[in-house]
Amino acid sequence: MSDSRDLTEQESLALISNMIQKVKASHHDTGITSLMWGTVVTLASLVTYLQREFEFKIGFDIWLIVFAAIIPQVIITLRKRRQIKVVKYEDAALDAVWLAFGLSIFGLTVYQNIVPYATVTLSHEEGWQMVKHYTDGSGKPDEILRPFPLSIYSIYILLYAVPTLVTGITKKFRYMILGAILSYVAFVISCYTASKYDMLLGAIAAAFCWLIPGIIIRRKYLAQRKADV
Amino acid sequence: MSLLIGVKEAEFTFIKEKTNATAGNLSVQVQKLKEAGYIEVLKQFKDNYPQTTCKVTPKGIEAFEAYVKALQQYLQVGK
Repeated sequence: MSDSRDLTEQESLALISNMIQKVKASHHDTGITSLMWGTVVTLASLVTYLQREFEFKIGFDIWLIVFAAIIPQVIITLRKRRQIKVVKYEDAALDAVWLAFGLSIFGLTVYQNIVPYATVTLSHEEGWQMVKHYTDGSGKPDEILRPFPLSIYSIYILLYAVPTLVTGITKKFRYMILGAILSYVAFVISCYTASKYDMLLGAIAAAFCWLIPGIIIRRKYLAQRKADV
Repeated sequence: MSLLIGVKEAEFTFIKEKTNATAGNLSVQVQKLKEAGYIEVLKQFKDNYPQTTCKVTPKGIEAFEAYVKALQQYLQVGK
């Protein structure tokens, strides 16, 4: 039966408030993206640390799994776009933040791989090169050194915190806020530690920023789905 | 409008589900809001099914804000 009477002012305000609440409650993050990236980055960082700590090689560059994860991410994004029925302003803004984060990480990887070679070329043109000189009195001869960005993984750890903190604050998700804070702490510690320990700190940061929050979001999502059935 | 004001865009089926309106009733409302210039309606095909997406226009936001302000003033006067 249709109700065509005019609403009172109180009813209008109640309706507006009710609709806003319904929109707020319509968020259903599956947690898959956090879970996947959390697993991949934690694993890659941890394996890198273990390889360097215990001096063994797994036979391939473990960081290739990060690039491999882009394929399922594209599939997840396309599926999400097909299923999504509403785009909230905050979701659109957060997507932009994560896109900027992804591009920045890619940019940093490019920097990390190009700068050492570019430095060698430029220094050759200027007629000098970097040399490792021992000061421990061992008398070892100097070694030619290929330039490298010092403690670069600290910058990655610093970057991990940015989108995580923005998402945590926006979504009022305290596990991501805690993850971001921990990431900042890991960044500070990594400034004082050898690069192999930076990898371990990176693994901890990635686990707390994405893996653990991802597990929590996934469990909530599955519980909600079970309740809806 | 209350539903659309808080989102960037929403599908017709989402609005229908949240407002508990019938498709016919909602279509009329959407058409009226579109004619008033308060919302933009985008009709396209997704996976071979027609999809209607609605989005509030700046004019719609302005009108909604004016409406809420008027409501608030009225309620304050009534106190």
